[in-house]
Amino acid sequence: MSTSHSRLADKFLENDKYAQWHDNTFWGVRQKRDRMADEVPEWEQLRQMASDIKRHTITHLDRYLEQFEANAVKNGAIVHWAKDADEFNSIIYGILREHDVKKLVKSKSMLTEECEMNPYLEAHGVEVVETDLGERIIQLNDQKPSHIVMPAIHLDHHEVGQLFENKLGSEKDNHDPTYLTYQARLSLRHEFLTADAGLTGANFGVAATGDIVVCTNEGNADMATSVPPLHIAVMGLEKVIPDYDSLAVFHRLLARSATGQPTTVYTSHFRTNRPTARKMHIVLLDNGRTEWIANPQHWETLKCIRCGSCMNTCPVYRLSGGYSYSYFIPGPLGINLGMLRDPQAHSGNVSACTLCLSCQNTCPVKVNLGDQVYQWRQQLDEFGTANKQKKFICKGMDAVFTRPKVYNMATDNAHLANHIPSFIMECGLNPWAKGHKMMKFPKKPFHKLFKDLEKDEDGK
Amino acid sequence: MDSKEYILGRFRRNVGKKYDMPDLGSIAGITYPDPLVQFINITQTNGSNLFELKPGDDINKLIMECYPDAKTIASSLPEIRIANRNPETVASARDLDGTDVGVVRAELGVAENGCMWVPQQCKEKVVDFISENLVILLPRDSIVNNMHEAYRKIKFNSYNFGTFIAGASKTADIAQVLVVGAQAARSCTIFLV
Repeated sequence: MSTSHSRLADKFLENDKYAQWHDNTFWGVRQKRDRMADEVPEWEQLRQMASDIKRHTITHLDRYLEQFEANAVKNGAIVHWAKDADEFNSIIYGILREHDVKKLVKSKSMLTEECEMNPYLEAHGVEVVETDLGERIIQLNDQKPSHIVMPAIHLDHHEVGQLFENKLGSEKDNHDPTYLTYQARLSLRHEFLTADAGLTGANFGVAATGDIVVCTNEGNADMATSVPPLHIAVMGLEKVIPDYDSLAVFHRLLARSATGQPTTVYTSHFRTNRPTARKMHIVLLDNGRTEWIANPQHWETLKCIRCGSCMNTCPVYRLSGGYSYSYFIPGPLGINLGMLRDPQAHSGNVSACTLCLSCQNTCPVKVNLGDQVYQWRQQLDEFGTANKQKKFICKGMDAVFTRPKVYNMATDNAHLANHIPSFIMECGLNPWAKGHKMMKFPKKPFHKLFKDLEKDEDGK
Repeated sequence: MDSKEYILGRFRRNVGKKYDMPDLGSIAGITYPDPLVQFINITQTNGSNLFELKPGDDINKLIMECYPDAKTIASSLPEIRIANRNPETVASARDLDGTDVGVVRAELGVAENGCMWVPQQCKEKVVDFISENLVILLPRDSIVNNMHEAYRKIKFNSYNFGTFIAGASKTADIAQVLVVGAQAARSCTIFLV
C-alpha cells in the first residue's frame, strides 16, 4: 500500500527528463541561497534572531495584533478580522460590492489560495486577475501553484508558449521566455489600467507603525495598488512583527533564502491609501492559527515567512514536484501545515520525507520541519491513518526484536530467504520493497562474525 | 461576540510558554570599508546602470543621452526640465501609462543589497512603476551599510508610502529563465548626485 504522495510521485517520475530538470533547477536555487548566506558573516546570528523574534511575537500575538490595528487605523486604514475562510471571503466580497468592483487585480497571496477566494469571488460575478507572471500562467491554465514562490515551475516554455498562443494571441511557435514575458506584460498592463481594485498579500505587518510590507520582483503588487482606486491587503495573523529593527532581520533573510537574491526588487511599505484612492482595507485572517498555537510540538510552524527554501532543498520535493502533495502548499512546510489543517486528509504526505533535515538547516527562521514530520508519523495511529501493512510488520518485528532467542534464530536462518523468488519478496504486499530490491541476507549474521573475530583475537 | 474578540480570546486560552524578545542590538550587521564602492558593485550585478554626476553636469542632458528615443518623460522634480508629464498634476494614474522615462528621487541607498529608499513624492506614485525606464537620483553621501542601518534612518512623509527599489523589475517564472522587465520598469538607471 503506497501513500498518496508516493503514488503521485510515480506519475511525476514518468517524465524522467523533466524530473531531472526539476531536481537540478531547485538544487541550483539552493546553491544560490548558499552563496548569498556565505556572503553574510552574521547569517547564523540572523537566523537565530529571526527565530527568537518570531517565538516572542507569536506567543504575544494579542498584544502585537492590537498594536498593529491601532496604528493602521491611525494611519487611515480600515482593519477587519476574519475567524475562518468563509468569513474572510465574505468580508472581501463585501468590500468589493460596496465599491461596485467588477474586476480585481491581485498579487500573489497564499492566503487567498488557502481560503479559495478566487472561485468564491468569481461565483459572485467578480473577475479576478492574477498579476504575478507565474500565478497568471497557472490561472490561464486552470491549475494550482506547484511551488509557493515559483508557482508555474511545472510548465516548460513550450507549454507556456502554447498557452499564450491560445489565451493571449501571442505569435505561433515563438516560445522564447523574453518574448512571452513581454506578451504577458502587455496583457497585464491592460488589466491594471482597467481594474476597479487591487488586492495584495503581506510579507510582514509592522505593529509599531501599522505598515503592510509587500516584497516582489515583478512590481506587480505595486502596479495593482498604484492604478486602481482601492487597495485591499490580506494577512495571516502570524505575519505581524514588532518593529523596523525586526523587519531588518527578516528582510535580510527573506530573498536570500527564497531565490538567492540579496533583496527582492521592490519592498513596499503601505500605511494608507494614495490620495486619489479610497480608504485602504486590511483583512486579518485566523483560520486555525490560534488553535495551532496550542499544539506544543507543532506551533513553531507559525514562524514561517513563506520563503520556500525548505522546498528548494528537499530531495523528495525536488524529485516529486508540488502536485504530489495533497495540501495546496507542498514540500516540508506543506506536509506540516496540511497535518495541522486536517491530519485525516493529509497523512499521505508525511511519508514524503527522508528525515535528512536539510529543510530545517536552511530555514531562515529555524522551523524544525523535519523533526515535526517525524513527530506526525508517531501520531498516525491516533488519526487512524497509519499504514496497516507496516503496522502488522512492525508488530512482527516487535515480537522478534524483544526476544533474543527468536532474534538469533531468525538471523541465523535469514539467508534462507535469499532463495525465495524475488516476485514473492518484492510483490505489492511488502511495502518496503517498493522502489528498491530486497537486500541479500548474509550466511553469517553480524554478531556471529563479531564473536568469531573475538575468538580469533583471544586465540592469538 | 465579534470576530476580533473571538480570535484574541482563543489565542489567550491556547498560548503556552511565552518567549522574550531577543536583544537585536547585539546583531553585528555587515559593514564595508567603502559602502559607496560596494553599492556601485552591487548595482552592476543587479543589472542597473549607474553614473556619477560631476559638478557642472546637466542631469537633463545625461538622461537624454541614456534614453535618446524617449518621447514621454514623467517627473515631479523641479530640476527635470525635460519632463513633459507631471505625476503631481495628471488627472489619473492611468494617464501615466506609456511613459518612456520616469525620474524620481531616492533618499538612501543600501550597500549590502542595492536597495534605494523611494518615499512617495507626488500625487501618483505609479510613476515609480509604470514607466518603461526608471531613472533614480540618489545622493552619493546617503549610502548605509545594511538594512539595520537603513530601517533606522528611513523617513515617511505625509503620503505614508515608501518603497525600496533595487533595479528593474524582473521575473524567472517561465522555465526559470531570468527576464528583466516584468510588470514594472524594464530598465533602471541611477545617477549619484
